[in-house]
Amino acid sequence: MPSFVFAGVGGQGIITVAIILGRAAVIEGKPVLMTELHGMAQRGGKISVEVRIGDYKSAIIPSKTADAMVAFEELEAVRNISKLKEGGMILLNRRRIHPVSLTIKQQNYPDQIVESELKKYATITVEADRTALELGNKRVANTVMVGALFSTGLLGLDEESIIAAIKESLPERHWECNLEAFEEGKKLVLEQSAKAI
Amino acid sequence: MAYDSLLGRGGRTEFLLGNEAVGRGVYEAGVSVAATYPGTPSSEIGDVLYQVSDKMGIKFEFATNEKVALEIAAAAATGGLRSFVFMKHVGLNVAMDSFVSLAASGVKGGMVVLSADDPSMHSSQNEQDNRFLGKFAKTIVVEPSSPQELKDFVVSAFDLSEEIGHPVLVRSVTRISHVRTPVKFGEVRGKNEWNYKKDTSYVLMPENAYRAQAAVANRLDRARKSNRSKFFNRIYGDSSTLIVTSGAAYNYIDEALQMLNVKARVMKIGLSFPLDQDGILKEVELAERVVFVEEGGPFLEEQVLSICALRGINRKFYGKLNGYVPMSYEMDVDRVVVFLSEIYGIEHKQTYGGPVLPNREPVLCPGCPHRATYYVAKMAMKQKGLRNVISPTDIGCYTLGYYEPYQMGDFCFSMGSSVGSSSGFTMSAEEKVVSFIGDSTFFHGGIPALINAYHNNHNFVLVIMDNSITAMTGGQPTPETGPPFKKVDIESVVRGIGINNVFTIDPYDLKSSLETFKKALGTEELSVVISKRDCALEADRKKSPSEMKVFQINQDKCNQCYNCVRNFSCAAFYTEDGKVFIDSELCDGCSVCSEPLVCPFNAIEVKE
Ligand code: SF4
Ligand code: SF4
Repeated sequence: MPSFVFAGVGGQGIITVAIILGRAAVIEGKPVLMTELHGMAQRGGKISVEVRIGDYKSAIIPSKTADAMVAFEELEAVRNISKLKEGGMILLNRRRIHPVSLTIKQQNYPDQIVESELKKYATITVEADRTALELGNKRVANTVMVGALFSTGLLGLDEESIIAAIKESLPERHWECNLEAFEEGKKLVLEQSAKAI
Repeated sequence: MAYDSLLGRGGRTEFLLGNEAVGRGVYEAGVSVAATYPGTPSSEIGDVLYQVSDKMGIKFEFATNEKVALEIAAAAATGGLRSFVFMKHVGLNVAMDSFVSLAASGVKGGMVVLSADDPSMHSSQNEQDNRFLGKFAKTIVVEPSSPQELKDFVVSAFDLSEEIGHPVLVRSVTRISHVRTPVKFGEVRGKNEWNYKKDTSYVLMPENAYRAQAAVANRLDRARKSNRSKFFNRIYGDSSTLIVTSGAAYNYIDEALQMLNVKARVMKIGLSFPLDQDGILKEVELAERVVFVEEGGPFLEEQVLSICALRGINRKFYGKLNGYVPMSYEMDVDRVVVFLSEIYGIEHKQTYGGPVLPNREPVLCPGCPHRATYYVAKMAMKQKGLRNVISPTDIGCYTLGYYEPYQMGDFCFSMGSSVGSSSGFTMSAEEKVVSFIGDSTFFHGGIPALINAYHNNHNFVLVIMDNSITAMTGGQPTPETGPPFKKVDIESVVRGIGINNVFTIDPYDLKSSLETFKKALGTEELSVVISKRDCALEADRKKSPSEMKVFQINQDKCNQCYNCVRNFSCAAFYTEDGKVFIDSELCDGCSVCSEPLVCPFNAIEVKE
C-alpha cells in the first residue's frame, strides 16, 4: 500500500502526473486516493499532491510514512520532506525556481539548505526538464518523471496500465511524445541505479 | 470533451475529483436547474456543468452572485423541479437572506444547497462551519466524508428534500471536494415535470411567515423520523469508547486508532441536523466515554451534549468544548493521533518538524496585467507625493498585490468590501484612498457600494482590474463574456451611475497608464480607472506558436540598479550573485519589463 508525495511549483504539470498514476491504479482495480493543495496562485505557488494506493480512508499521508517523493523543484522537495519515511526515496528534477521574496532582496537560491537536507535521503536525480527539451517538447517533463517513478518498482503497477492511463489522460496528438518521455524516464533511473551498483 | 465520461452508464467506475462526483450526482438525481457563483473549493462543479449540463438536460448558469444563484434554484423548486445551487462556504453568507426564507417556505421539487467549506483556509478568508448556518436557517444538514459519498449523499439528499418538502444543505470541505478517488456511478433518474401552482407559502410577508414557522418545525420533525435518515449514519467497532465523528474528520479515525493500537466504537454521522437523537443516545448510554471529532464545530458535540443534559445522561466527554480536541484547522491522521493518545493515556512522541525554509508566497503569474497596474499605480502615487495611501482591496488574484513589493492591500473582508469600505475610509481619513477590485467581484458585490459612494459624494479612486474572466477559480466566464451571453460593459455601468471621471487604460502601456493614474489621483471627486487587459493565462491560450517569445537581460547593458526586481518584480526574474536573470521557462513574453519605465537602461530584450 505505497504512498507518494509530489512536490513542485504551479505550472509544472504535477497534478497531471498524479492523475495518470491514479487512473493506472483504477485500471488495475486498486483503491487509490489523491489530494492536492495549490493555494491562491494560478502559477508559481507551491503545490503538493499526495497519492496513496491501497485501502486507505485518509488521502493525507501521515508524516514520515511516504515511500517516495517525486519532486519537480528542489526547494519544494525539502519543504515536503517531513512526509517521507526514513530511508525514503526522492526522485528529483534538478530545477530551481527562485521564490520572489528572495529575488526582491537580490538573494541567491538557498542551495546549501537544500543540499544538506537532500543528503539525508536516497536522492536520485532525474533530469526531466532537460530530457524533455531533448525530446523537443518541454511540456513532457512530467511524463519523464512518471517513467522514472515506474522504474523504481515502488508503484506496484503494471506498465500497460500506466500507458493506458497516459492515453486516457491526454489527447491523442500528445500520446507519442509522452510515451517516448515515459520510456526515457525509465531509462534515467535504471542508468543511475546501474551506476550506484 | 473532458467531462463526457460523467455521462456514462450506472455501474461504471471513474477516477473523479469530489467536485466532479457532485456533477455526476446531480445528473443521477434528475436535477433540472442548477446555478452557482464560482468559489474555491466548489468551483469544479461549475466547470463540469458549464461543459456538460446541456447533455445532462440541466439548465445551468453562472449567476452574478450566490444570492441570485440561490433564488434561481428556489424558483425552479417552487414549480416542482429538482434544483441545485452550490458555492464556497462564504458564498452562503451572501445568499443567507434568501437561504433562511427558503427553509421557511419549503420546496415542492427537491432542492439541495451545497456548501464547500475550507477548514485551514487554503484559499479563503475564514473557516466558518456552514453546518451552523444550515441549523440556523433550519434546513436539513447532511455531511459526506468521501467523493463517493458526496455523490451518493447528493442523490439521497434530493430524495429526502422532496419527501419532506424541505431544502437540504450538503456540507463538503476542501479535503472531500478536492480529493480524487474511484467513484462508482449509479443509475440516472428521470426528471420532474414543471408543475407550478400559486402558493402563499412563497410570499413571506408577516401573515404567511407566521404560519411558516410552525410548518418548519413540523417538517424538521418528519425529517428526523424519516426512514431515509438511516441511510446517512454508520456505526461499527466494539469498545467502551465511543467516537462521534463526521465529514472529512472521519477519514482519519481508523488509521489513528491503528497507529495507537487502540479500539473504539465509531459513530459516523451523515445526517447532522436534525440528529437521530434516539439512535445516538442509545450508543452514548452504552459507552463509558465519548469523544467528538469533527472539522469545524463543535456542532455535533453541542447537540449531543444538550440532548444528554435533557435526558440526564452523564459520561466522560472529550471534545472541543473542554479543550481535548483543537478548535481550529482541518484534521489529519497526525493531529488525531496527538489528541487521541492523550485521551487514551498513551505515550506518543511527536517526530515531525523540518528545517526552516524561505517561503514561497503565492505570486501573480508572469505576464499578469495586475502587476503592471500595481506598478504604475504605486509610481503615480509616489510622483504625486502621496504617502500613506489607504488601499482597500478585494477578492481575486489581484489580492496578491498585498505582498511585496506592491503592498496594496490594507483592507479585505469579503466580495465587494473594497468599495464599501472606501466610502467609510473617505468619511474619516486624511489619507488618500485608492481601492482595487476585479471585474467579476465588481459585478458580484461592487455595484451597490459604488452607487453608494457616488450618491453620498465620497472622493476616492476605484481601480477596476478588468481581465474579463473569473481567474482565481480557474477561468469561469463573467458578465463580460460574449455570445451566447449578453455582454455587460463595465465602463457603461460606471458611467450609467453618473460618474464622470472614468478612465480606461491598457496596463501594459506603462507610460500612458502612469499619466492617466496621475490624472485620476488629482481629481477632486470620485473617479474610476478601468485597467483592461486579458488574463495572461487566457491570452496564452489564444497565442499562436509564432507569437511566443521570451525576454532576457543583456548583461552588458544591465547596470544592476535592481529596479526591475525590487519594484516591478515579475515572477520570472531571479538573481544569482548580484546578477539579474530572466527564467526563460517562466517568462510569458509580455514585454512590459522591457519598457523604459521598468528598465531605464534598456537592458531587457527579446531572446533570439
Ligand atoms: S532594471 Fe535594467 S539595469 Fe536595472 S537591474 Fe534590471 S535589467 Fe539591470
Ligand atoms: S517579458 Fe518581462 S515582465 Fe513579461 S513575463 Fe517576461 S520577464 Fe516577466
